[in-house]
Amino acid sequence: MRLKEFKFKRYRKFILPSVILLAVTEGAAIICGATFDDLFGGLGRGVLFLGNLFPPNWGAFPEMLDPALKTIIIAFLGTLFGSLMSIFFALLAASNLANPWVRNATRFFIAVERAIPEAVILILLIAAFGLGAMPGVVALSLGCIGMLGKLLADVIEGIDPLLIESMESVGGNKAQVIVFGVLPQILPNIISYTLFRFDINIRLSVLLGAVGAGGIGYELDYSFGMLDYHRAFTAMIFIIVIVFGTERLSYYLRKKIKMEGALT
Amino acid sequence: MTLLMIISIVVALACIYTDFNPIAFFVEFHYVRDLLGEMSPPNYRVLTDDPSTGMAILQTLSMAFLASLYGGVIAVVIAFLAASNTMPYKVVRDFFRFLLSLLRVIPALAIILIFVIAVGPSTFAGMLTLVIVTIGNFGKLFTEMLENVDNPPGEAIFSVGASRMQVIRYSIIPQILPTLMANLIFAFDVNIRTAISLGIFGGGGIGFKLQLAKSVLHYKDVAAIVTLIIVLVTGVEKISNYLRRKILGEGKLK
Repeated sequence: MRLKEFKFKRYRKFILPSVILLAVTEGAAIICGATFDDLFGGLGRGVLFLGNLFPPNWGAFPEMLDPALKTIIIAFLGTLFGSLMSIFFALLAASNLANPWVRNATRFFIAVERAIPEAVILILLIAAFGLGAMPGVVALSLGCIGMLGKLLADVIEGIDPLLIESMESVGGNKAQVIVFGVLPQILPNIISYTLFRFDINIRLSVLLGAVGAGGIGYELDYSFGMLDYHRAFTAMIFIIVIVFGTERLSYYLRKKIKMEGALT
Repeated sequence: MTLLMIISIVVALACIYTDFNPIAFFVEFHYVRDLLGEMSPPNYRVLTDDPSTGMAILQTLSMAFLASLYGGVIAVVIAFLAASNTMPYKVVRDFFRFLLSLLRVIPALAIILIFVIAVGPSTFAGMLTLVIVTIGNFGKLFTEMLENVDNPPGEAIFSVGASRMQVIRYSIIPQILPTLMANLIFAFDVNIRTAISLGIFGGGGIGFKLQLAKSVLHYKDVAAIVTLIIVLVTGVEKISNYLRRKILGEGKLK
């Protein structure tokens, strides 16, 4: 009996949070229309459906190569242009380089940009430019600014102030300070963040493809729409290989850069 | 210099291959201006007069919340089964590690298309997709977190006769709890964004609303919804940062 009281006392402070959590969960489940009946019925149907995917349509293999390459290129170009723009914005958003007004305005812009999901940017761009690879690349580049811009700006703010001061004291102007002082220092960060972002962009590029940028994501969505599930499975295999490949590559390269950075 | 040349050639080839013309972006920039003209002024009446918009926001929020909760819990369970200091059998560990890496590479797009078929296009389908995505994203993180806990406390109570379960309960769980909570909150933050994107593919919520408004060319509504999304995501991010800072202590959060 004494043991029970002791235990109750010990866990008493968890009761209120648990009740709140339960209530919120229940409310959220009602709003979502999530019920266990639906879940188990749906899971049964889902598993049955997975049977429809097999076997993959190997005949569609050659016609998938072109969209797959397109997806990779969209991600590549998006990352490249995006990282270049991010460096520019990061320089404007660093408190030790830009004046406070410019800095705050840029930081605000970066924060707003980060709040818009890439798919939403793409929808707006497609409304302006029509379907195609171009809105996809632009959406991914803009998406980079939100993340890389902030990360790089933080890195720049963290560099040694003595370095900037010493360059200025011997008569270096702002451009010289940036080109010879700041950029070489943050280069490893730029490369490693960019590689990381490339990994993310490949996934996004697949998703954006289905929204309307073209590529393998579109093929997947289209095959599902046409109820051609064997073809869809082929596209899925392609996507998995691409995503897995870039993840490994990006991880390997980042590790290598980190090791080289540690040596010097 | 050679590197730069190679890169520019590759970029040029890539641009030609995908018909991506960087100059066209600037030449055709007037389309953006036209669109912005079309979009202003944003029709905020869609937020105040149409109750379904408020509902859509609630749907997106609850989607992300449930997915973070369930996905997070499942991810923790899998992490315990995949971490070397909590799971003694290598076969089980390897199986769950493989499962986690498989979940991570299956794109959200494929998962939602399957769930839309399984349970119909609804918020529920979006939520289930987010659960899977959350497990994939955070399962590995939690596994690494478990493997990085400090060993000595566990060894100490093990040496005085604690069982494996007791070691987990009194040494490992207290150590990972703050990081775990912080990561679950972060998962919510990430899931909000994904939930909005998934809405476009039949996941329901505000993303679906946006897609709907765009496809009937109500650009003023689109503008209003986009501002709403910005406010929503920024708000969640600020709250999430605040809570995480509170949990982890000042300065731990980068």
